[in-house]
Amino acid sequence: MLFQIQISRMKTSNVIWVGNYSTVVKRDPVLHWSWKSELPLECATHFVRMRSRVDDAKIPEPRFWSNWSSWKEADAQKSLGRDPLFLFPKDKLVEEGSNVTICYMSRNQQDNISCYLEGQQIHGEQLDSNVSAFKLNKVSFIRKTGTNIFCKVDQKDVIKGIVLFVSKVLEEPKDFSCETQDFKTLTCTWDPGTDTSLPKRSSQSYTLFESFSGKKILCEHKNSCNWQVDSDSQEMYNFTLVAENALGNRSVSVLFSLTHRVHPKTPYNLFLKNVSGTKATVTWKVHPIGNYSTLLCQLDLLGEGNVIQQHNVSIKENGEYLLSELEPDTEYMARVRCADANHFWKWSGSISQKFITAEAAPSEALDVWRNVKSVSGRPTVTLFWKPLSKLHANGKILSYNVTVENLDRPSGLEVHSVPATANGTELTLDQDSYQIHVTALNSAGPSPASVIVVSGDPGNEEVEEERVNGTEDGFSVSWKPQSGKAIGYVVEWCDHPQDLPCDLQWKNLSSNTTSTVISSGAFRPGVRYNFRIYEISTERMAYLLEKKAGYLKELAPSDNPQVVVSNLTSHSFTLSWKDYSTDSQLGFIQGYYVYLRSKAEKECHPGFKKATLPDKSACCQHRIDNPEQKTFVMENLQPESVYEFLVTPYTSAGSGPLDAFTKVTTPDEYYLVEKGPYTHTHHPPHDRLRFAHHDHLLPKKSVENPHLTIMNVSDCVPDAIEVIHKPEGSKIQFLGASKSLTETEFTKPAYLYLLPAEKNYSGPGPCICFENLTYNEAAADSGSCGHFPVTPEALPGQPGPLTSPENLLKALEKNYMNSLGETAAGEASLNYVSQLASQMSGDKDSLPANPPEPVLCSEYKMQMAIPLGLASPPPAENSGLSSTTPLDQSEHYR
Amino acid sequence: MRPQLVQRTLLSLVLGLLFLSTAATGKCSGKYHELLQQLQSQADLMQDTSTLLDPYIHFQGLDQAGLKEHCKESPGAFPSEDTLRGLSQRGFLRTLNATLGHVLHRLTALQQDLTIAQDQGRNIRGFRSNIHCMSQLLRGSSEVETAEPTQPGPEATLPPTPSSDTFQHKLQGCRFLRGYHRFMHSAGQVFKEWADSRSRSRSRRHRPPRALQRGARRMRPFRRDERLMPRGQLPQ
Repeated sequence: MLFQIQISRMKTSNVIWVGNYSTVVKRDPVLHWSWKSELPLECATHFVRMRSRVDDAKIPEPRFWSNWSSWKEADAQKSLGRDPLFLFPKDKLVEEGSNVTICYMSRNQQDNISCYLEGQQIHGEQLDSNVSAFKLNKVSFIRKTGTNIFCKVDQKDVIKGIVLFVSKVLEEPKDFSCETQDFKTLTCTWDPGTDTSLPKRSSQSYTLFESFSGKKILCEHKNSCNWQVDSDSQEMYNFTLVAENALGNRSVSVLFSLTHRVHPKTPYNLFLKNVSGTKATVTWKVHPIGNYSTLLCQLDLLGEGNVIQQHNVSIKENGEYLLSELEPDTEYMARVRCADANHFWKWSGSISQKFITAEAAPSEALDVWRNVKSVSGRPTVTLFWKPLSKLHANGKILSYNVTVENLDRPSGLEVHSVPATANGTELTLDQDSYQIHVTALNSAGPSPASVIVVSGDPGNEEVEEERVNGTEDGFSVSWKPQSGKAIGYVVEWCDHPQDLPCDLQWKNLSSNTTSTVISSGAFRPGVRYNFRIYEISTERMAYLLEKKAGYLKELAPSDNPQVVVSNLTSHSFTLSWKDYSTDSQLGFIQGYYVYLRSKAEKECHPGFKKATLPDKSACCQHRIDNPEQKTFVMENLQPESVYEFLVTPYTSAGSGPLDAFTKVTTPDEYYLVEKGPYTHTHHPPHDRLRFAHHDHLLPKKSVENPHLTIMNVSDCVPDAIEVIHKPEGSKIQFLGASKSLTETEFTKPAYLYLLPAEKNYSGPGPCICFENLTYNEAAADSGSCGHFPVTPEALPGQPGPLTSPENLLKALEKNYMNSLGETAAGEASLNYVSQLASQMSGDKDSLPANPPEPVLCSEYKMQMAIPLGLASPPPAENSGLSSTTPLDQSEHYR
Repeated sequence: MRPQLVQRTLLSLVLGLLFLSTAATGKCSGKYHELLQQLQSQADLMQDTSTLLDPYIHFQGLDQAGLKEHCKESPGAFPSEDTLRGLSQRGFLRTLNATLGHVLHRLTALQQDLTIAQDQGRNIRGFRSNIHCMSQLLRGSSEVETAEPTQPGPEATLPPTPSSDTFQHKLQGCRFLRGYHRFMHSAGQVFKEWADSRSRSRSRRHRPPRALQRGARRMRPFRRDERLMPRGQLPQ
């Protein structure tokens, strides 16, 4: 019979569904048919009616429909209580991605109702005055405790809600396969995919069905199932795995032959035996599979994690294999896995075992080099060698043997044992030639000997050094063969030439090589590397061939030379920096720049050109192109002028820092009185007396040239005298950037008046003041050392009156010379007393009218160490002061 | 989530240790003050909503605007603080014990949804063990046993089994836990009163607490209309 069914909603005329249902009508007249409504039936009254007709091909057409039945009403609302609000469906379970219709029904049409899905308001379709429906499309899984949907009656404490349980989609099992390890049990495994289970709901289940046997089992686990193999009779298996949950099921099948699904168990009892330096025997066992099965086992030999040998072995139960070509004293791992030899399905698990091969004697001679030097006239040979690589050591090196054989005078061999921790040793020899054998020893024996011949005669060391350019790759060194009989060459250098030891390195090269690139991770820019190329003769003697020097990259000098100022005159001074070494700089020194600046002179001297300093100030620059020229004479200077100079070297990368200029003040012009030939120097050959030509010098006769004249002592009557004594070797040192007393203006000199400069001077007699020139001027001024009269008692041993200038001069000269004779150079507590141009105002008239009167006229000032920062500022440049005072901090006064 | 988890773990640890001090050793402490302090501390920790209610709300997805406000304690579900204060010491302990027995029963149902309910169940059992010890201590004192009915617990006022309507079940669970935490807060306040009363009594007379000599009703330090300021406000 064929039944046509109509369903209406709300009212009979609102037909929402029409469908047919065909079934065989038996004697039992009760038929069952069901229909699922998208809209929960509680929210709306539904009506159903049907009609039928014969649906049998045996009965000829025409076949007529029966009349419609009367409408049957399905009204779930009647069973609801009197609550003001209802929400449906309750606790519905759907699959993720489904569409769901929910509805609410309100008892009171006046109520304003709002609904929310997970807190977000949703808007539905009003079905009638008190029923609304919401269609949720493609619902998502939010949480296992379900999605909360609720409606509230505004202004009332009424809330109704439902929980929609959204399940994840049940997936088809993946990677479904079955295998056996013993022909007794088949283990089927699969990946179940996403878990669809929800709390208080039955979770997904798995059923395994085998079609040939018709057996079916419910699997205990979600991802595996064990199937008992009953007998040997069944070879083929056709499994269907069915995954099922409350919403549906998914299935997957596999068809296979049992003998093609053998997965052997992991081998066991893996042992290594008869392990020598190069061979080892591996044995292992396997679980037998059936009576006739053969297993193919794969034996891997691993070294440092990498497979270095692989062997296949067919076995029944016991496996054995001899591993060869092993390295001595090396750790290996033997690893074995097996598979069915006839029908490969899967490898078994692996079993592995580590082992270490026995040691063997070192296989290679040491790389040895030597350094010959003379210590106390005896040749001392320092031997160096590079440790053997692990590959060649063949075990732990226990010590090194050094055997020394005199080639000139046959005698017994001298054997030295050197600890394994050392990579060299030192031998003291004589002028004979010696052959030295060096071997490394481990527990298995010595290495081949490395032979080197040394001689007390260092050979030709006078080889001109050449320059070599460095690149990013290192230094490209080449040489010219000399003898044509070389058996090889060695290039030698130091990785850290500025350190001690300098980390000597060498590189061996074959006899047909004439160039190489020397590279090292230790090479740094700004470091001078010296390379020595040796030729190794057939007698294994090394002869120096060439010397090279170079920089990986030249840098500009970082420091300037220490410049000594000498020969200071009113018109010139000499700069010298002879101690400056050009060999240990940041690049090859190509020359020097001499900078000069002075406020007194706007134009540059000949040989100088104008230059601009980094601080934008102008100065004059002179370039010296010869790096070995380390003196320079500044000429054509103005007297009583302040000059600032700077000497800086330059390399191909630039010049040194331009920041520390040194001031020099040229003295006023003097008439000088000397005991010997006139020189004006700070390290004079002789002590001398010097007289300023004006103010304090009273010439006996007229002077034609008022600026510079050489006079006899007897020609002058001094009114003030400066005694100059500088121990031999003392110099003015201007220490580059250091801001010391040497950099300050020359200390205001002390001077003393021996005679009144004017006839009407009625002050006390002359007085000698010994002043420490490192003494602070301010301190000096505040002290008692002034131009005090010198009483006759103040100059003991002076027989004559001092009122006569000549007598005084003689007395002073004698006394001074005596003091020199009594005091060793460099230890003299008396430095000098200088006669200078008038300090203060430069005018003797400005002498203190009422100088303080000390008890003792002759006075020694205490040496005071003055912090630089506390020192008084130097006198103004135009103060007219000048000095020839040698400023050597090493001098101390008592 | 992580700090909350750590907090819960620590809480469980503390409560577990407190529990160990009595129940695990199988021996009650005979020191009233020590026992009272433990009960106070346990009540303080159990009133903390982060131990049960907050994880429950999050787990059930009730932490949404419009839903939270419906998670209120059902009136009468648990004895009020005033009711607890009105009880004698032993009556209070009996009521506390009975109420927590019902809570344990309900937590068993919640355990399916909330794994931490299991931890809390263990803590409640430890707390009840201390209640038992305190009862024994009081019984050993001269306190006169008075016939006082146990106050109705949650079983009398809440549906014994959850509704088949899952949504309603979620809300009921939420309200139940809210009531539980409030109840533990009230219990903690009563224990505090016990402690305050004892220290006051000590400072006045240097005598053992009256509670151990006479009926708890007489020693009650506050009038019924005299409310204690709560130490911590329970979230509503």
